[in-house]
Amino acid sequence: MVNKHVPDWLNSSLWSSPPSLEEDERLSRHSTTTTTTISYSPAVEPTLDPPTPPAPPSPTRVEPEKPPETKDSPSNDSHSSDLSYNDISEEVDFSTVDISRQSQLLAEISKKVINIRDLRRISSQGIPDIPGIRSMVWKLLLGYLPPDRGLWSSELAKRRLQYKQFKEELLMNPSEITWRLDKTRSCDKDDSKSESRGLLSRSEITHGEHPLSLGKTSIWNQFFQDTEIIEQIDRDVKRTHPGMHFFSGDSQFTECNQEALKNILIIFAKLNPGIKYVQGMNEILAPLFYIFRNDPEEEYAASAEADTFFCFVELLSGFRDHFCQQLDNSVVGIRSTITKLSQLLKEHDEELWRHLEVTTKVNPQFYAFRWITLLLTQEFNFSDSLHIWDTLLSDPEGPQETLLRICCAMLILIRRRLLAGDFTSNLKLLQNYPPTNISHLLYVANTLRVQSIG
Amino acid sequence: MSYDYLFKYIIIGDTGVGKSCLLLQFTDKRFQPVHDLTIGVEFGARMVTIDGRPIKLQIWDTAGQESFRSITRSYYRGAAGALLVYDITRRETFNHLASWLEDARQHANPNMTIMLIGNKSDLGHRRAVSKEEGEQFAKENGLLFLEASARTAQNVEEAFIRTAAKILQNIQEGVFDVSNESSGIKVGYGRPQGASGARDGTVAQRGGCCAN
Repeated sequence: MVNKHVPDWLNSSLWSSPPSLEEDERLSRHSTTTTTTISYSPAVEPTLDPPTPPAPPSPTRVEPEKPPETKDSPSNDSHSSDLSYNDISEEVDFSTVDISRQSQLLAEISKKVINIRDLRRISSQGIPDIPGIRSMVWKLLLGYLPPDRGLWSSELAKRRLQYKQFKEELLMNPSEITWRLDKTRSCDKDDSKSESRGLLSRSEITHGEHPLSLGKTSIWNQFFQDTEIIEQIDRDVKRTHPGMHFFSGDSQFTECNQEALKNILIIFAKLNPGIKYVQGMNEILAPLFYIFRNDPEEEYAASAEADTFFCFVELLSGFRDHFCQQLDNSVVGIRSTITKLSQLLKEHDEELWRHLEVTTKVNPQFYAFRWITLLLTQEFNFSDSLHIWDTLLSDPEGPQETLLRICCAMLILIRRRLLAGDFTSNLKLLQNYPPTNISHLLYVANTLRVQSIG
Repeated sequence: MSYDYLFKYIIIGDTGVGKSCLLLQFTDKRFQPVHDLTIGVEFGARMVTIDGRPIKLQIWDTAGQESFRSITRSYYRGAAGALLVYDITRRETFNHLASWLEDARQHANPNMTIMLIGNKSDLGHRRAVSKEEGEQFAKENGLLFLEASARTAQNVEEAFIRTAAKILQNIQEGVFDVSNESSGIKVGYGRPQGASGARDGTVAQRGGCCAN
């Protein structure tokens, strides 16, 4: 069947290779990408400035001599099945283009007032794995750090204090609340005395605040409802990236990290009663916290929990409707977003769209539900997900359109295997996406943008 | 590999009871102590042989959280078998069975075979639901029942196969109209009834490419 919608480049061996040669495929795909990285830049970014000389790193935040912050992550991740591939892709990061991009990025974030538009343009191709850089740039891209560096310390102090207050108000259990109420009521009594008593005398607990009260406004009633959510969050946090020591294990470091993730999710759930907590939020939270907690600057690492909370809220604001069951079938809900992906594929590769959805009946919901709700965090190894997020967070149109283009590119990259596959093999392939060169994937995704405009 | 029938299964139950681990043990014969959360639905397939007949099981493993129910409900349609799973060490997962069952009865084919599985039987020392309670619930609601362990693989194979045997028995007794897609059963290539029904793509087409 001849299909006019498929331009020749889709079938180019650059995008994919015969299905039988998996190992070779990765290698050849990789080797083509090294050259692509160098040659595609002018096409992808016509406005790219000539390389600027390396700017002096910001005096306080940049410590390039430290090892890459993701060093312990990729090989442990359950989705990382191709270790050698990661090693190679790190080498790619040191190509000439990457070095000039890196210096441009360093120059931009060293400015007194950062031009966010320029920053987005530079970081959309990936942020170098220099400790602290991604942490700073993501905060800028998410609008948590204002462009004017002069405002950073006051703004951060304000937000971190606000988070501290949230924690005090929302993470306290009812005993502590009633104890506090009691303390303020009986402020004439000294603290040690009320503590030595341990429990309140019955007369001092108001009827409405008694643990057995059935009143809906009772803080205990609320507490019991919350307990269920908190237990669920607790269980899910322990299941977040089980292969990474940062998130999973018995060390005190890991436990502190899990505690921080848990606090953030509980506070979010309490502040957003319409959504509360939905599984998958933990996965979206994880990269943010990982990056911020590994900031080489101690002050930033120590405030990672607060910073992550606000960035999480900001990031989720563009996607929260996907987590809202009531909106599943609305124009902003997850089903509608999946339909947009399907339309995008049809627009760019009707042959593949027809084979998937008509011939083999692979409903995009079967694979894209997870791709979209988790912002691709479960499809690739951790360090590759970070690279994808650099692009997602950089897009001035907001992350969703970029996300859909990347998803569409993921399909196109393995089109030959999909076109040769039936329902079972295609669904398995799409639910276990093969390791891919991420720079290449993002390049193809960006090509779809250009085509849509033209 | 060709097959006589294809049965569609759905795995349901509370979050964290071990649905994905049961599937992984059945399809890959391995256990993953901490499994990623299932978001949406995950797919698995395997061939089994019942009474000498090759049968392909197509298994849909669903997310357990309440928030995903509106999505997972669509997977009930056209399922011939369901594995309803609870965790013998967490009482609440047993208490929620009635609600899962109601969901299944409302959205699934009324002839769907349901196997109740009390998972994590290797954790007997932390047991919160007795085997008798499980049996009782199954009996009252007309379900098959097994206690199983995705960790040790005990009864995992049996759970999937006994469900398939029951479905096959139902077919032989004429309970199902196998030409009707919503039964969750497809007749394989080469069998007289199946030639037309098997073309819609939910079937592994032209044997050989997708034996697993």
